[in-house]
Amino acid sequence: MQNLELLFTGFVTVFSVQNVLVTMLGAVLGLLIGAMPGIGSLAGVALLLPLTYKFNPTTAIIMLGALYYSNMYGGSFSAILLNIPGDSPAVMTAIDGYPMATKRKRPGQALYTSNISSFTGGLIGICILTFMGPALAELGLKFGPAEMTSLLLVAMTSIGWLVGSNPTKGVVLTAVGILIASMGMDTLTGSPRFDFGSMYLLGGVPFIPFVIGTVGFAQVMKLVDEKDKKSNNIINEKLTIKGSMISLHELKRLLPPAIRSGFLGTFVGVLPGAGATTGAFLGYATQKAFKSEEPLGTGAIEGIAACESANNAAAAGSFAPLLALGIPGSGTGAVLLGGLMMWGLNPGPLLFTNQPEFCWSLIASLFLANIITLFIALGIIPFLVRILTVPIKLMIPAITMVCIVGSYSSTNSLYGVVVMLISGVFGFLFEKNGYSTAPMLLSFVLAPLLESNMRKAFIISHGSLDFFVKSPISLVLVILLILIISTPIIRGSLKIVKNKKQNKK
Amino acid sequence: MFKEKIGTKTILPLGTTILGIIFSVIGFFKYGFWDENIGTLPGFFPTIIGLLLTGISILALFQSINDEKNSSRKENWYPVLAVILIIIGNFIFGMYISLFAFLIYWVRFYEKCSWKETIVIFTIMFVIVVGAFGAWLNINFPKGLIYNLLF
Repeated sequence: MQNLELLFTGFVTVFSVQNVLVTMLGAVLGLLIGAMPGIGSLAGVALLLPLTYKFNPTTAIIMLGALYYSNMYGGSFSAILLNIPGDSPAVMTAIDGYPMATKRKRPGQALYTSNISSFTGGLIGICILTFMGPALAELGLKFGPAEMTSLLLVAMTSIGWLVGSNPTKGVVLTAVGILIASMGMDTLTGSPRFDFGSMYLLGGVPFIPFVIGTVGFAQVMKLVDEKDKKSNNIINEKLTIKGSMISLHELKRLLPPAIRSGFLGTFVGVLPGAGATTGAFLGYATQKAFKSEEPLGTGAIEGIAACESANNAAAAGSFAPLLALGIPGSGTGAVLLGGLMMWGLNPGPLLFTNQPEFCWSLIASLFLANIITLFIALGIIPFLVRILTVPIKLMIPAITMVCIVGSYSSTNSLYGVVVMLISGVFGFLFEKNGYSTAPMLLSFVLAPLLESNMRKAFIISHGSLDFFVKSPISLVLVILLILIISTPIIRGSLKIVKNKKQNKK
Repeated sequence: MFKEKIGTKTILPLGTTILGIIFSVIGFFKYGFWDENIGTLPGFFPTIIGLLLTGISILALFQSINDEKNSSRKENWYPVLAVILIIIGNFIFGMYISLFAFLIYWVRFYEKCSWKETIVIFTIMFVIVVGAFGAWLNINFPKGLIYNLLF
């Protein structure tokens, strides 16, 4: 009940003219950027981050929340209409969304299904977040340096281990992210460290240019390969709002999988490292166990509803560990966390008690963003479809310019542009060679927290490792960490044994 | 034979191995690892992570031998060249002129789009760069040597 009162206070803050307008602006921009093929929510949020500079911290955070949320909606547009997922969670949406748009010639209905399912999943996720966030924060208060160290190691390892096809590469970039973050000032003593004689590096590597380069500019370099691709025929067909609507029977078909996936997705989102992509995969896999009116994979409404609802619910659910424990669930979450920290918000167990205005305004803004994004998305389907016809060859110089001005504006010097350029080149090379850069961003954001907790733990224990297994919470987390690390090794060994057996036969 | 196996797939883990060594060596010897009275020193954490990176990078290096070669086209590097030229141009002509000269060159002359398309994209980017960043966010972009000499 107290949570509802606090949420109401959050709504009072959010419902100022400026905040509502900012939420709408964030929703529109997030949708537009998210809908552009090949950009995705990670690059989208990174590119739009500098736009929040103008506002006061609360408004800026509200805008960030709306940007993040609407990007999730937008990612499905190019998946459904072009078979190019805007971000990784939309990969599953394309399986049924694209056939529904092309083979069944119902692109508008596919988009409607996706939007309504996203709304349903998101609503379930935010409702659960409202009640679970503070509870998780209370649990978080029991976390000392040893528990936090174990938890952060679990989060970093699981992202490094789960994202991408090769766990080794994930761990490599996790460590690289930590080392880059250790440049500048020492977290405990404040003494300069790894500045290599450069006055710029004394302040460390700036977050925004780093993230814009790693995902945004690297994406530009990748887009060059796709610039000659022709746009799909279906997006040249004229779509109207009325002609895109779904029938009552179709609404009844989409609601059960959307509600089911909403709960499942939220649960997945809460787990550190799992994120919206895992949520979408699990949502779709679960739907296979249930009855669908049309076979999945042929343009079934149930297929689109299951994964879209799950990925938006996971996006909302991931706010619980992000706010209560300071652990983002994905690369996009890490960028968002960086943005929140930039605005003085220190996610962690004390956030709900020390900065309730920030916290509940953000949760309230998610409710508002969910509703606003739904209406905007439904209302501007015909216009958004036109966005997809923007040729990639025009997007390349446009995004390059945004990368330059965005990174310049965050540091007010060309140092930001240089950081963006270097991180972009490495981001491109890493992605090209099968290294996912999401773990690097996550570890870059979490490294100071991990370092300070780890060092405090060792100072308290006088250098003994026993400290990490003395408390039950830390012990459970250490076991979980060992399981995460050993699972791919065991799986890989089993695969080798199986292959050997097959070769013998 | 060996030459064919070397590419970014090998250079990247090699680079991260060197990075790990540099951070662990500097961390340990320059910033210190452990002090009996104080406890952990500034080099404690980077040394551990540097060693971890070195070990795991060596593993990645061996794994990379079996990876397929990933070559990038020279066109992939044009945006990099463009940013470098914009940085240089920024000192002489200022940020706005460098950015919009790049935009016009890329759209009209490199991609050979029509003047109509060029003007449309120019207008949109003008609103974003000059309107949103310059006027709204008050970002003071460099005006360049020529502007400073003239005004």
